[in-house]
Amino acid sequence: MHERLSFFVKRDSPIHRLNPMTKAVMALSLVLIAFLSPWYWTPLALFLFVILPLSLVARVAREYWNFILKVILPTLIILFIMQAFFLPGESRSIFEVFGLEITELSARLAFRNVMRILVMISSFTILLLTTHPSELMSDLSRRGLPGQFAYVVISSLQIIPQMQAKAQTIISAQRSRGLDTQSSFLRRVGGILPLVGPLVFGSLVEVEERAIAIEARGFTSTRPKTFLREIQDTSFDRALRWALIACVILTLILRIWLS
Amino acid sequence: MAIVNLQNVTYKYPLTDVPVLQNINLQVEEGEFVAVIGPNGAGKSTLCYTLAGFAPHFFKGELTGIVEVAGVESHNSILSEWVLNVGLAFQNPFNQISGAKYTVFEELAFGLENIGIPRDEMIARVEGAMKLTGISDLADRSPYSLSGGQQQRVALASILVMQPRVLVLDEPTSQMDPIGTREVFGVIHSMAESGMTVILVEHKMEWIAQFADRVIALKDGEILMNGDPSEVLTSPLLPSNGFGTSRYTSVARRAQELGLWNEGKLPITLDEAVRGFNSSLTKEEIPDARAK
Repeated sequence: MHERLSFFVKRDSPIHRLNPMTKAVMALSLVLIAFLSPWYWTPLALFLFVILPLSLVARVAREYWNFILKVILPTLIILFIMQAFFLPGESRSIFEVFGLEITELSARLAFRNVMRILVMISSFTILLLTTHPSELMSDLSRRGLPGQFAYVVISSLQIIPQMQAKAQTIISAQRSRGLDTQSSFLRRVGGILPLVGPLVFGSLVEVEERAIAIEARGFTSTRPKTFLREIQDTSFDRALRWALIACVILTLILRIWLS
Repeated sequence: MAIVNLQNVTYKYPLTDVPVLQNINLQVEEGEFVAVIGPNGAGKSTLCYTLAGFAPHFFKGELTGIVEVAGVESHNSILSEWVLNVGLAFQNPFNQISGAKYTVFEELAFGLENIGIPRDEMIARVEGAMKLTGISDLADRSPYSLSGGQQQRVALASILVMQPRVLVLDEPTSQMDPIGTREVFGVIHSMAESGMTVILVEHKMEWIAQFADRVIALKDGEILMNGDPSEVLTSPLLPSNGFGTSRYTSVARRAQELGLWNEGKLPITLDEAVRGFNSSLTKEEIPDARAK
């Protein structure tokens, strides 16, 4: 009931202390470099020599591996198999089944794509593990992100779990009045339909009330906003951001140069 | 000069023909505690929304007459400025939590961030409001992990930090258990004591009798009665128009019918009822009543 949709793990680490914007720029730069780099081994190198050390420095390695092994790895394996079978590659065949084949080239390309996606997911996972969502959003709104946008992001993280809990309450209530949750699939789907009404209409009423409540607290005020959270933005943060942007630009130049 | 001034106010929601409020005339003095009672559909919530600026600024619809708070007219104001003068809290505490904040302290600061209060003053105001509503020990808890009474006190505190001149409360205890009700009324009482103007819509007559300076009875969008609690709450017009009455008044009225109540006025509080029955019921009279 009290859980929220947030990865954030409260620890004390150099990464946690970085400015949220720096971490966001870092995540984005890693993704861009992994996708733009002209060298085949870049994504793997980024994973081994940047992502893994980062997860250790940030002291979130356990949570990171937990998520990667349980959720991401199965997806990546399926993705690798699909890509290896279906990417075109005129070269030596390694494996063949039902007329479909994996060639050396298609396997190479599939591996690179999977590594790119691994880097992408990993860098954002580390960002979310080390950054409190409201810290990220208040830093972004301080930099000019519209308050409404920040509100939508943050409130969804908290309100969706509340809606799930409410759906569960409605289901339990209907089950106690004889809702069929165990017979054939079609019957169960038919049984779920009447539950959707109360949930959706109930939520719409709630949205209006919540709109009134936040409006009563000056949500649409045109006065300049202030912030309770003080967020550090050191010269090291700024230097790091520029360095990362330089790396991305360098990668882009190399890619154009070498192709 | 009254801080709240409604003159000939009539309001229609959009797409409806029947006005929900009709010809409302109401003046409230600064520091006064006014309770509004009325059966369902009497227009109590709409009156709250009108006072708090949501009708017509949020709901649109058609408002005629004058709505004036602290010398500013509603028509000439915008909602985000209007709410600085009039704070609104309502029934469901859950829906009043912004959802954008992870702790009670931050939740209280939400409104102050929106209106650009400097950080030092923000912290001082939040601490003050938490103390007044007795939630200081909840500062670091998630607003979603609290009980109903605690959540409602957080909702009240979130409005209090804005330091409005007038506080409008729409049935703030209707979803509370007796303990939650007592907690919330404790807060409302201390706010009224501190000199804030309070307009409270409430069904719990015992509580109104205890705190209100004045009671307004609303029926079908019109003001039926407007006066002293001891007069309005004991009026014979209430039961015949579908209003509730305090249990003390009901008991005394029944006693009056049986000839067991000799006081002139019906009671509205426990103390008045005890005093009345003490002087009415002498030992000789009780067998009489049994005979009847």
